[in-house]
Amino acid sequence: MEKEQFYYDNKIVRMFLIATILWGVVGMLVGLLVAFLFIFPNYMEGISWLSFGRLRPLHTNAAIFAFVGNSIFTGVYYSTQRLLKTRMFSDALSKIHFWGWQLIIVAAAITLPLGFNSSKEYAELEWPIDIAVVLIWVVFTINLIGTIIKRRQRHIYVAIWFYIATNVTIAILYIFNNLELPVSAFKSYSVYAGVQDALVQWWYGHNAVAFFLTTPILGLMYYFVPKAANRPVYSYRLSIIHFWSLIFLYIWAGPHHLLYTALPEWAQNLGTVFSVMLIFPSWGGMINGLLTLRGAWDKVREEPVLKFFVVAITGYGMSTFEGPMLSFKNLNAIGHYTDWIIAHVHVGALAWNGFMAAGMIYWLAPKLWKTDLFSKKMANTHFWIATLGIIFYALPLYVAGFTQASMWKQFNPDGTLVYGNFLETVTQIIPMYMMRAFGGTLYLTGFILLAYNIIKTAKAGSAVEDELAEAAPLKEISSKRVAGEKIHPWLERRTILFTFLVFIAVAIGGAVEIIPLMVVKSNIPTISSVKPYTPLELEGRDLYIREGCNNCHSQMIRPFRSEVERYGEYSKAGEYVYDHPFLWGSRRTGPDIHRIGKKYNDNWHFNHMLDPRLTSPGSIMPRYPWLFTNDLDISNTSNKINAMVKLGVPYTQMELDKAVYLLQNQAAEIEKNLRQDPEFVKNYGDANMKDKEIVAMIAYLQRLGTDIKTGETAQN
Amino acid sequence: MQKETCYHCGADCNSGTIYFDDKPFCCNGCKTVYEILNQNELTCYYDFEQAPGTIPAEIKGKYDYLDNEEIADKLIEFNDGSTSVVNFYIPSIHCSSCIWVLENLDRLNKGVKTTLVNFPKKEIRITFKNEETSLKDIVELITSIGYEPFISLEDSEGKKAKIDRTLLYQVALAGFAFGNIMMLSFPEYFEVDEFWLNKYKPFFRFLMFAFSVPVVVYSAKDYLISAYKGLKHNILNIDVPISLGILVLFTRSTYEIISQTGPGYFDSLTGLIFFLLLGKVFQQRTYNFLSFERDYKSYFPIAITKINKDNSHVSIPVHEIEKGDRLLIRNEEIIPVDGIMINGDALLDYSFVTGESMPVTKISGDKVFAGGKQTSGAIEIEVLQSVTQSYLTQLWSNDIFSKNNTKNIKNITDSISKYFTIIILFIALFAGVYWFFIDKTIAFQVVSAVLIIACPCALALSAPFALGNMLRIFGKNKFYLKNTNVIEDISRINTLVFDKTGTITTNKGSKISYEGEHLNDLEIESIKSVLRSSNHPLSRMLYEHLPKTELMEVKNFKEILGKGIQGSVNDLDIQLGSASYMDIDPEILLSTFTYIKVNNKLKGKYIFNNEYREGLKESFQKLSKNYGLSILSGDNAGEKQNLEHLLPENSQLLFNQKPEDKLNFIKKLQEKENNVMMLGDGLNDAGALAQSNVGIAISENINVFSPACDGILDAEEFKNLPNYINLSKKSMSVIKISFGLSFLYNIIGMLFAVSGNLSPIVAAILMPLSSISVVTFVTLSTNFISKKTLNS
Amino acid sequence: MNILFMLIIISLFIAIIFFIIFVRSVKTGQYDDVYSPSVRMLFEDEIVKDENVDDNKTNSK
Repeated sequence: MEKEQFYYDNKIVRMFLIATILWGVVGMLVGLLVAFLFIFPNYMEGISWLSFGRLRPLHTNAAIFAFVGNSIFTGVYYSTQRLLKTRMFSDALSKIHFWGWQLIIVAAAITLPLGFNSSKEYAELEWPIDIAVVLIWVVFTINLIGTIIKRRQRHIYVAIWFYIATNVTIAILYIFNNLELPVSAFKSYSVYAGVQDALVQWWYGHNAVAFFLTTPILGLMYYFVPKAANRPVYSYRLSIIHFWSLIFLYIWAGPHHLLYTALPEWAQNLGTVFSVMLIFPSWGGMINGLLTLRGAWDKVREEPVLKFFVVAITGYGMSTFEGPMLSFKNLNAIGHYTDWIIAHVHVGALAWNGFMAAGMIYWLAPKLWKTDLFSKKMANTHFWIATLGIIFYALPLYVAGFTQASMWKQFNPDGTLVYGNFLETVTQIIPMYMMRAFGGTLYLTGFILLAYNIIKTAKAGSAVEDELAEAAPLKEISSKRVAGEKIHPWLERRTILFTFLVFIAVAIGGAVEIIPLMVVKSNIPTISSVKPYTPLELEGRDLYIREGCNNCHSQMIRPFRSEVERYGEYSKAGEYVYDHPFLWGSRRTGPDIHRIGKKYNDNWHFNHMLDPRLTSPGSIMPRYPWLFTNDLDISNTSNKINAMVKLGVPYTQMELDKAVYLLQNQAAEIEKNLRQDPEFVKNYGDANMKDKEIVAMIAYLQRLGTDIKTGETAQN
Repeated sequence: MQKETCYHCGADCNSGTIYFDDKPFCCNGCKTVYEILNQNELTCYYDFEQAPGTIPAEIKGKYDYLDNEEIADKLIEFNDGSTSVVNFYIPSIHCSSCIWVLENLDRLNKGVKTTLVNFPKKEIRITFKNEETSLKDIVELITSIGYEPFISLEDSEGKKAKIDRTLLYQVALAGFAFGNIMMLSFPEYFEVDEFWLNKYKPFFRFLMFAFSVPVVVYSAKDYLISAYKGLKHNILNIDVPISLGILVLFTRSTYEIISQTGPGYFDSLTGLIFFLLLGKVFQQRTYNFLSFERDYKSYFPIAITKINKDNSHVSIPVHEIEKGDRLLIRNEEIIPVDGIMINGDALLDYSFVTGESMPVTKISGDKVFAGGKQTSGAIEIEVLQSVTQSYLTQLWSNDIFSKNNTKNIKNITDSISKYFTIIILFIALFAGVYWFFIDKTIAFQVVSAVLIIACPCALALSAPFALGNMLRIFGKNKFYLKNTNVIEDISRINTLVFDKTGTITTNKGSKISYEGEHLNDLEIESIKSVLRSSNHPLSRMLYEHLPKTELMEVKNFKEILGKGIQGSVNDLDIQLGSASYMDIDPEILLSTFTYIKVNNKLKGKYIFNNEYREGLKESFQKLSKNYGLSILSGDNAGEKQNLEHLLPENSQLLFNQKPEDKLNFIKKLQEKENNVMMLGDGLNDAGALAQSNVGIAISENINVFSPACDGILDAEEFKNLPNYINLSKKSMSVIKISFGLSFLYNIIGMLFAVSGNLSPIVAAILMPLSSISVVTFVTLSTNFISKKTLNS
Repeated sequence: MNILFMLIIISLFIAIIFFIIFVRSVKTGQYDDVYSPSVRMLFEDEIVKDENVDDNKTNSK
């Protein structure tokens, strides 16, 4: 009953570490691929699963959940064991967690390019995978909390707190944002519609950034930075304050992603206020991190690990300063929908997340393989290349952002737009895109160096599966505490259990809360003229989602003179009441298309989809030849209508019964329109287009925004 | 040779550098520690800090008493027969390496199971197995590696104060509710009439209400209670208007949301309470680092060796000592009780009791008083009184001390708040009546608005912050005060009374002068040579004093402890010592001195004069401008002349003052409407210190002080005394200004209130704004004035 | 917009959970000492198979 000897599980850490590197390469590769599509829109010549709309979600998911996710788990599994002086709660759970997570990633890597995609950013995965994610996450949670319970160190170091926060919140957020009604194995509709869906999405979207890309990394920072510098964190008290204030503020900041949208103004302002407040804890954390290295700057000079950390923390500071700035309405009016946002998130991703991961990996590898790093020099080279990469990535995009935003807003004295044709504002920034691609290449090169460096290190070293350590059991002492002096472990265990149960209760309670809300139609003030989509339009909309059009085209015209002038009447909340899910988009690589309906004739759309450069020379939109060859899958049409009815969309019984019939009628209608163009007849005379996907797409596009006549406003 | 610093403790290694592992060490102790750590692979102790160690203390039999079951049990917090937990306060914990080595104790002693260090508190919690080791072993172990624990009766009386975290909870709750209420109340500030907002208002408002209830009930309870208590004793303390504000805020807001007339002021309410509590937390932090808990017992051994009839020795706890017991007092031990010397020669150092630097000789039959430290070999005493009644304890239990604690001069805030409250009530009343005739409907609103906006949060915060901050600044400058009220007291004083010995004189080193017929070099040489063989403090002092000469061999040297020494050097018979030793009738010269006889002929005497603190004269000059000065000395008038030319004329000089006299002297001054600051030292002044309006203990080492005092002044900073007093005055004026500031805010608010248009948002902005700006103002200005004053 | 009800309720729930955790952790003395842990986490406790000082040193670096 002396000190107990036990083994740290290094194997799992190593597995996650390798996965991090692997997925890091993949994620960045896809990113690069996508970046080049901006410059050479044609080089994927009509390969459906390599088109931008489908790769972009793959890139974001790979970067966030595969690369950063695995790096988080690497750090968590390493530090938690050592901070709590115990092996992980269950090796089985650890393994399940690892393989489960990798499987999910693979599944995502397959389904997303195939177009199985729920269109919600960072939550594109379809419902079966969502469920898998939740299950694996629960496994992780149990494993973490179990470890905390059987810990040998009374004090729970601040890093662990950050991990716990991540665990609880992400679970809740993810569940609520992904409440979907399945139609088929790989198709589902969000239970929320329009504005509500948007609000939930960005409440999630923001907090995904907050609790997946920030809090856990902060936890890693509070562990690995002091470790690497071998000096205690600058102020431990500050770190604790940092944690709690962050927790209590983050939750509220979501709505700032929806400034100037159809969201009620006070809700938008609320988002702004809290986003601005966030700057204090965030910078508290950054300062704490940087000051930890005070007096160690000589070390920083030759120690690549510390170099990475310094830049990472600085990146954190920059993006947490930029974030609140962007949540100011007037700045947001400029930044939103432009490349500024892309630059903003990549400063966070490349500097903060990427460099924390890199630093951590360089520090861990020698420990895990019990040898020195293969080449410090190479690590330093990686550092400099990657840093350059970040600069080359971010700066051009900032420029691009400003340029485009200002071009969008410029008026001639006579009140017409200077750049009436959206394309001008795109071609203008192509050079920036080239530089961005270059920056990306640099960053990837650096990361490949890391991969090589680590492989070499691993080869040289000897892997110690389990590392022997010893510490006195906690129970022993604590059970023998004078009563009242400290609370006994069993009580402590009860606390954790208790909070866990509360969390479950929340989930259930919340669910119970929303189901009725969703079903009751009267919640939503409707605009009389707004009608549900016809079966064909609905199918078209699903194609729109499949191809990820919302990645480049917004459907939310903000109430600015410039936008109304360019796109037409600004969007009303009431127009989206039947949109499951909402498709507002977050970036305008192409123009907003909420009022595209009836703006051009069917043939224009037909040709445009066939080859955008025919109708709009210089366009960087991909071609969609497969829409012209694939037959429209109508096997699920009536199910889809049924699902919509379940979600409170008022289809008539007739529409329900005759869904397919109606669909085919409308399709035929459109083909007739197309045939009015001799060109079309010449080329496709015999082909019966009405069965092809393109028809549905055209139907949907022509419907967009036509429900309300200009001038008529919603009653909300 | 070039200076080397000890690898372990970083001290300069002078001549006797010890080398080990080709690393330099200043002393054997340090080397041993290094060896211990080295053998046990704990050398990375040295990786965390440069030279992290401390020089280990001497330990021989010092901790034997820990083998005494009873004592051990008292120290041990928990013991289940097999395992024990003990908590030590270790002053020498000072760097991260300490944490490292102490938490690896188990490598040094297998019996130790775990150790947990609390660095800020300098505490260590050790769990060990009884059969494998003992408390004594552990204490000796940590002492030997330089971490001597602080053990005293006190600890053994086991009054473990349980940490009270209520305030923390209250702040947390208030802050939490404040945040959420803010976010729920904002929408109504942003937009007035919006479709969805109207749908949500009731929900939001209900939530706000729900959040604020616990805040009022729990977080604010202290204010409400103290206000209630105050009123019961007809005192309008500052908490009265505050509570009034809180309650009105709450009721009015509740009324508003129930009657659907408005969003209420819940954000202001919770914000207000939150800021008030924050202020409180700040105060607590500033006091905590100063503990006035320790009392005189801390200086006593907690166990003592009793000699049984059969001459066997047994160590017993002090409180078990009974009248008639025979005790063995070893060298360097403190006499715990009054008694009679039985055998041995005592050389007792009473400096901690009386501040007198000169050790006193006692021989068999003499009465010895508790608190003396034996400095020459072991002695035996017979106990006259048990601990509780000993002379010190009597002086101790003098009711004056208890008076000291309850002595509550109403502090500036309370005295102001009295008028404040009354005025507010009048305004409220007046406004209420006025509006009653203009427009009944809003009369109630106006009255409540007045009471809300008048809530003197800024007022309540300014004094605590200003004084709290001063407390910290003083602390940084080695001037430690009991609490903020002391600063106010200091600012009021007009008379200073000084104890002489140990207060205006230092205990370290004395001036030595010679009186009598001239001594030639040969004689001086001889005297020095003789002195060399004596260990008596005076001898050593004199030896250092005399000019350097080469020394000659001393024949038939003889030392009668406490009397004198003699010896013959190159056929001169030298005798040094007291009158009795010289068998000549003592003169009526009243300072410490020793006679010199050469060849049985009285040559003269060396007189040892006290050394005065540096900057004493200047300080006195400065002070005499604005304050009456007097000096009370416990001993004879020997120093009269020296003192007189040090002091400004108008100051008083009194000698042969017994503690009671000092006390009465101050009483008299106070009867003449004087506010007296007494600067003394040691328990003898305790009565006086307590009686005075401000009692300051001067001390060479701040851990040694009398509990009767309101503050401790580190001896080195004595010269700064005038500045400190000056600073206290200034800080009071800062507070007054800040009051003005907060009144300003109140007036602005009033304008809104009485005119009947205090919207929630105005309140929500005005109230925190006033608190924050006032707090920043006082903090900055106090820092500023202290910089100016202390650097001047 | 009733979605806001849901979001607020959930957010509040999360906030309250964390608040409870916070109070609990203060109660259990988690924050009694807000310095030592930051140092303690620097100490390595891995035991090196062949016990010799140098390894031990490198471990603690």
